[in-house]
Amino acid sequence: MPYEHIKEVKDKARVTPIEIFPDPKTAIVILNQHSGKPLSPLVAVDDSVAIGQKIADSKERISSPVHSPISGKVVKIGNIYNHCLETFTEAIFIENDGKKTKANTLSPISESELQKTKPADLLNIIHEAGIIGLGGAGFPTHIKLAPPADFPIKNLVVNATEGEPYDTADERLLIEKTTNLLRGVNVIKKILGNPKVTIATKVSKADAVPKLQEVFGNESDTTVVAGHFKYQQGDASVLQKALFGYETPPTKRSYEMGCIVQNVATINAIANAVFEGEPLISRVVAFNGEIAQPKNLLVKIGTPISDIFNQNNIDMNDVRQVVVGGVMMGHAIPTTEAPITKRSSSIIPFSESNYKKEQKQTTCIHCSKCISACPVKLHPILIYEAIMKPDMEKAEKLWNKDCIGCGTCSYVCPSRIPLASTIMASR
Amino acid sequence: MTNQSSVEKPKDLVVSPPPQINGTMSKTRVMTYTFIALLIITIATAAIWWPVMTPTEMQMATFTEAGLTGFLAMPLGAILLVNALIAVGVAVLSDFIIGKAAADSEVNTMSAAVFGLIVTLCYSLGLPGMAKAVEVMPLEVLSAPGCFIFIALTSFLGLVIFKKLQGMAGRKYLNPAAAAKFIVLLPFLFSTFLIKEHWAPYDAGGLSMPQLTSAITKESFGVYLQGCYGNPGLTSHPSTESLMLLTKFHGWPGGASSIVVIIVGVALIFLLRNYFKWKITATYFGSVTVMSLIMTGIYGGDPMTRLLFELFIGSSIFLGFFMATDPATTPYTRNGQIIFGIGLGVLTVLIQMYMNFFGGALLALLIMNLTVPLLDRIGINKPFGR
Ligand code: SF4
Ligand code: SF4
Repeated sequence: MPYEHIKEVKDKARVTPIEIFPDPKTAIVILNQHSGKPLSPLVAVDDSVAIGQKIADSKERISSPVHSPISGKVVKIGNIYNHCLETFTEAIFIENDGKKTKANTLSPISESELQKTKPADLLNIIHEAGIIGLGGAGFPTHIKLAPPADFPIKNLVVNATEGEPYDTADERLLIEKTTNLLRGVNVIKKILGNPKVTIATKVSKADAVPKLQEVFGNESDTTVVAGHFKYQQGDASVLQKALFGYETPPTKRSYEMGCIVQNVATINAIANAVFEGEPLISRVVAFNGEIAQPKNLLVKIGTPISDIFNQNNIDMNDVRQVVVGGVMMGHAIPTTEAPITKRSSSIIPFSESNYKKEQKQTTCIHCSKCISACPVKLHPILIYEAIMKPDMEKAEKLWNKDCIGCGTCSYVCPSRIPLASTIMASR
Repeated sequence: MTNQSSVEKPKDLVVSPPPQINGTMSKTRVMTYTFIALLIITIATAAIWWPVMTPTEMQMATFTEAGLTGFLAMPLGAILLVNALIAVGVAVLSDFIIGKAAADSEVNTMSAAVFGLIVTLCYSLGLPGMAKAVEVMPLEVLSAPGCFIFIALTSFLGLVIFKKLQGMAGRKYLNPAAAAKFIVLLPFLFSTFLIKEHWAPYDAGGLSMPQLTSAITKESFGVYLQGCYGNPGLTSHPSTESLMLLTKFHGWPGGASSIVVIIVGVALIFLLRNYFKWKITATYFGSVTVMSLIMTGIYGGDPMTRLLFELFIGSSIFLGFFMATDPATTPYTRNGQIIFGIGLGVLTVLIQMYMNFFGGALLALLIMNLTVPLLDRIGINKPFGR
């Protein structure tokens, strides 16, 4: 099936090296960054915290702790805008004391120790490091990497396709942290019992492909696939179809097909945690969009997004929309006071003239383009009509719950009907 | 669910649902491309038709002799251009007035203009050289100034009843241009339904048409086609092939030159890709071809002649590209579109054969339009992995 081509705006950003962004004066660490219930704080106002200190956790199985990105004092526990959930949720506000005191939260291992370390211990490090799917899903990684024993994993896929049209953080990691990624992949291989490794990337990542071939080319049971993958093929199921030919039923999890798909940034975080003892307190964020010099910034999680604009001398009067986490699947935020979370892969500002052109919704012209463009073969307009009626029974019969939220239907609709967001909201 | 409107939040940042970017294709763009395609066909046809006076001097003489008056001799190409102006003007104006008057109706100028040109291009014009049997042929409908009134009526009724009223009632069932033409010209179309008059000789008030349910040959049928579609000002005609493919001087302006329609249609499909329901076009022409071969198998005769007639008659070629693909009155689903195209082809050939109705495609289209809700229901495919 031909997938809709979505124009990428990456030329400048993809060739710009990762830059370390200064620590914030105040870090705001949101307690609900993973997909699951919110965490409970382990610290109180006025407590002192050190870099990497665990500051919130939960007993829920599907959860992942958070850590202080800076050293300093807890000044407030209150609500702040959380772009992952598109609402205000609880966060810990920490004032920087500038001392950079570090806490030793994790017990890292050396590379030579990897083969004799038990998978359970590796999973524990990943859990304690607060690693979640950094591609946007936010699912705790230590759970994803521990599938039920009756499903042996044959394939590990490194999803290095990064199809979001403005995102380049993963691409820079592929270029600059290639050996670290190899270390991360080795950890996952150890945990999963040596599956075959497929690294799926795009030909368009011209600098990354040779790097990957150089570093991974001689590894056993490892293939680097540089394909012409489209944006929609960045989805784990759609990617597996491209690589292995099968379609995973929506009722099944990927591991039931013997496959686990991991995102680049997540693998980088795994290597940092296991070998360096670094919990997940920073990530690479692409700062792209309508700005003169796009950047890739290594930002502390909890940094207010406004800091990034200030440091780059951007006049907020020129900015009309700020999108976090990709223009296709991410969200526009109402305020730049919101902090960077583990899931903020990109910050994309748009100016008055350019934010979402031609927004006015008109009536459907029945062109059926949305249907031919849906990567999971749904009928977006028919589902939309059912939801609007509302006839939820019909929407379900049309498999509204199978929608992967890729946004392609809304993107292609000549009448600008908000198909994707309406369908996602109905799930 | 009010997520289509962008809510303005403090700090003036605009929050709108994802995705935050749109593709380059908009409704206006789809309509503009289609309009330009139709305009090219209109202008090309007007140019091809320009040298032919309608009625010709000779025809005028016969009409006067028979006591028929009220014909305005004009170049056929000029009649077409005036028709286009009237149809587009009436459609755009009615759309504008309704749009302003009815609260829940959008003004959609481009879409109305496209409709106007479709009405123009499916409105039969031109008096064949053999048009002597004045009682059978609705001569005033096919020439000026009568056609100006009928096309205005078609455009008006089509837009008001079949485009706007149908649209407001929810789903549009019938192709507006086809339905309007059918209603306005019903009194005249009736004569063509009466089978006997078709193959009766001219003197007996018929059209001297060879029966399609016989072994049609290049000789009998080819000569008939030349008489029907050839330049009425000339006595000798080019080959049937070049007539059917390059230039016809009677019938749907949209199909006067099959080659022009094919070039423009294919270019439009290439431009619009899946914004154009090309699967219907493909399956339609495919099934017409297969049906023609089957009919040749049953009744014998020259397969080429039958195929030329069925595929390249004005109504088939224009309808296949531009009317059978009308987004609003055709199926959403892929399977639905395929069944629709096949059904349309089969019905077209059957109606043309057994009702001897040359515009069989038009009636077939209206019938198939009614099956669209059903086709959309059975056309639903299972999603990914199910
Ligand atoms: S958002 Fe959902 S319905 Fe729309 S194209 Fe993507 S998967 Fe299909
Ligand atoms: S793409 Fe938009 S206009 Fe076309 S059928 Fe789907 S909803 Fe209707």
